[in-house]
Amino acid sequence: MKMHAKNRNVAIIGIGQTSFSSHKEDQNQVEMVQEAVINALADAGLKIGDIDCIVHGNMELFEMQFAPDLWHSLGTGAYGKDEYRITTGGTTGATLVCAADNLVASGLYGTVLAIGMEKLQEGNTTGGITNMADPLWFRNLQTGALTGTTAQEMIDEFGEERAKRAAMRYRIMMDKHAMLNPRAHRRFGLEYSQMEDLMANSPPLVGELRLIHMCSQSDGACAMIFTSEEKVKQGTKNPPVWIRDHIQVHREETIPNLFGFNKPEMTHHCAARTLFARNGIQDPVAYFDVFEMYDPSAWWAVDWLREFFLLTGDEHLRMLEAGDFDLDGTIPINPSGGVIASNPIGATAMLRPAEAALQIRGDAGGHQIKKEVRHALASGFGGTFWTVLMILEKELNWQEVNHD
Amino acid sequence: MTEYFGTTVADIFATMPKRFKPEEAKEVDIAIGYEATGEGGGKWKATIKHGTLKVETVDGDLTGCKTTIHTDAETFVGVTLGKIGALDALSSQKLRVAGDPKFLMLLLPKIFTPYAAPEKKPVAVTARDIITTIAERFRPEKAEGVAMTIGYDLTGEGGGRWTIVIRDGKCAVRGGLADPLTVKMTMEAKTYTGMMVGTIEAVTAFTSGMVKIEGDMAAAGATAKFFRKYVVPGATEAEELISLRVTNAIEQRFATGPVMGRWFAGLREKKFLANRCPKCGRTQIPPREICAWCRVRVHEFVEVGPKGVVTHFDIVYFASPDPLTGAVRDTPYATAYVVFDGSTEREAVTMDLKKEDIPRLKEGARVRPVWAEVTTGSYRDLIGVALDEQEESL
Repeated sequence: MKMHAKNRNVAIIGIGQTSFSSHKEDQNQVEMVQEAVINALADAGLKIGDIDCIVHGNMELFEMQFAPDLWHSLGTGAYGKDEYRITTGGTTGATLVCAADNLVASGLYGTVLAIGMEKLQEGNTTGGITNMADPLWFRNLQTGALTGTTAQEMIDEFGEERAKRAAMRYRIMMDKHAMLNPRAHRRFGLEYSQMEDLMANSPPLVGELRLIHMCSQSDGACAMIFTSEEKVKQGTKNPPVWIRDHIQVHREETIPNLFGFNKPEMTHHCAARTLFARNGIQDPVAYFDVFEMYDPSAWWAVDWLREFFLLTGDEHLRMLEAGDFDLDGTIPINPSGGVIASNPIGATAMLRPAEAALQIRGDAGGHQIKKEVRHALASGFGGTFWTVLMILEKELNWQEVNHD
Repeated sequence: MTEYFGTTVADIFATMPKRFKPEEAKEVDIAIGYEATGEGGGKWKATIKHGTLKVETVDGDLTGCKTTIHTDAETFVGVTLGKIGALDALSSQKLRVAGDPKFLMLLLPKIFTPYAAPEKKPVAVTARDIITTIAERFRPEKAEGVAMTIGYDLTGEGGGRWTIVIRDGKCAVRGGLADPLTVKMTMEAKTYTGMMVGTIEAVTAFTSGMVKIEGDMAAAGATAKFFRKYVVPGATEAEELISLRVTNAIEQRFATGPVMGRWFAGLREKKFLANRCPKCGRTQIPPREICAWCRVRVHEFVEVGPKGVVTHFDIVYFASPDPLTGAVRDTPYATAYVVFDGSTEREAVTMDLKKEDIPRLKEGARVRPVWAEVTTGSYRDLIGVALDEQEESL
């Protein structure tokens, strides 16, 4: 597929988040969106008049509110501006970032504000996901986003004890990261000494996928502001973070054909392989300083690390066991606590690049990585295994992308 | 006396002598006048002279004061407690000082220990208090046709064992644990009271293992709706937050088109009709107009199955709603990925497995379809799959 190099470079210059929690009874949707927008504008040192275009996204089926961008316009500041609405399932937030990047890179807009939000408390998430499946087939069988097949595959491949310990180690690591992030929704204060107890006693959901492994359902919003290299040169309040490249990989719309006698290449692997190749990144583990990964469950997370980093065999387990993915490890995963800690779905995949950008700026607060962060990776996940993957950079100094 | 931030202006002045530090005030000679307007306000005069303090209420004008402070009662309490920034109050003119405000801000913290609002003794609620109100909080209209016994084993201080029996639209609480129980929940008594008064989030308590559940997990989750929320006696809600409750029921019709239509027509005849890509040869289930891999139209239909092999499966314990009816599904249930005989190797299909067969389910098992009594050309025609007993016994 022919891709064209960017028309002009694009930087993230403003980031705003709400806190994330299971209930935001004290705010309606408009007020919650406004909080994130105000925070992003303050972070960028801009006023709403400086924004040329707004991109809005969430999952309509979750709150059952059609065209929520209309209702939210007082919160988004979209009145009198161009606005686009995007909804692509779990990847919504990441797709919003891709769209904003493209809108600025194209030259059509100078400064773009993207907003992802969800108030899962106001609808029925599993019911919504279930009704997203192909209505002609499969809808009657859907169980939302819950599946134990990856757990079983990992147990088959690495043995029960090692696989279960790996998933629980990842889970507790995420909680330790979330404990450092005051915005995170679920902060349990788990200790590694609780591993055996949780492996045995956390209520099972599907097969070996247990309640403790699964991500939360959260309320919250995230807003980000993007602008062109020309505008950045006029000065920014905070250091810009550059979007080097992004890729979206989809597969045909059925899940069962992932589970025949042999497995096709996963979208994560395809995305990583293609993105790294066209950017000349030979060794992603060595190149990146942080990876904010969309991790819906601890089992998927561990399995997906192998896909995204193009690892083989048990390399990913050995890295996990050696502490390489810890906050002070060689390649920290989800310093924010990840999706397992906070999952306002329409904002979730935007929080990945938002948190990665904060790490590059050194502004992540309590969960800031101690060593310098120059190169960051961020992923989104959704649908019937869709992937968005993007590279963020501190310096505008990378080699021109080869998109052929 | 009107309270702000949990205390009164009068209490701040009443506690002044106790908070006074005479040794820090040896060199001080000053009279400070206070005027707090609005409900709960008044006028006071504090005279500090060589390590002594005299506090008095003033009825008329504040006279003989070197410095006077003027504010509304709420701001006065807020600033004293640190709930409102003193600089913010000064900047916004809510607090005015005649004299040198900077001098006051330096002096007062030096000669007084900080004021703290008197601790309100919290209403002590025990697990017993809450459990004994269960029968009166019961909502029979929400528990129609429900029959269950729920056991609570509450450990630690204020704990105990109780059984709640719901049957025939009635609810009773009994001491001790009955046998059998639909579900038994074991937790510390303080976890239970915390969840009931809202200081501990129920989902967090369940997820983090603070609550141990034995028996029917779905029943444990369903109990809340049978009862009105427990309210601590004498407690007042800080702020009323109104949520609107809406239930949507939408009837839908989806056109299947000629290709999927063939598949459903096949189901009506108890046949699985896949369509075969002319280029790569894969047998698509469900059939699709185009092979997405080869980007060609697919016209040829082939019959596959009806038997097949289980490649993967999920045993589901989480009581997710049945998307067709909204009813909570009976757990555990199993969904099996099946490749039909005659299918190409990646074309797996997901189907429910007969409940009785779950204990014997394994990868590689042979299965046969289980059809509805009357088939109409719908996914309801296929109930699921069952282990193929004939081949099992071979």
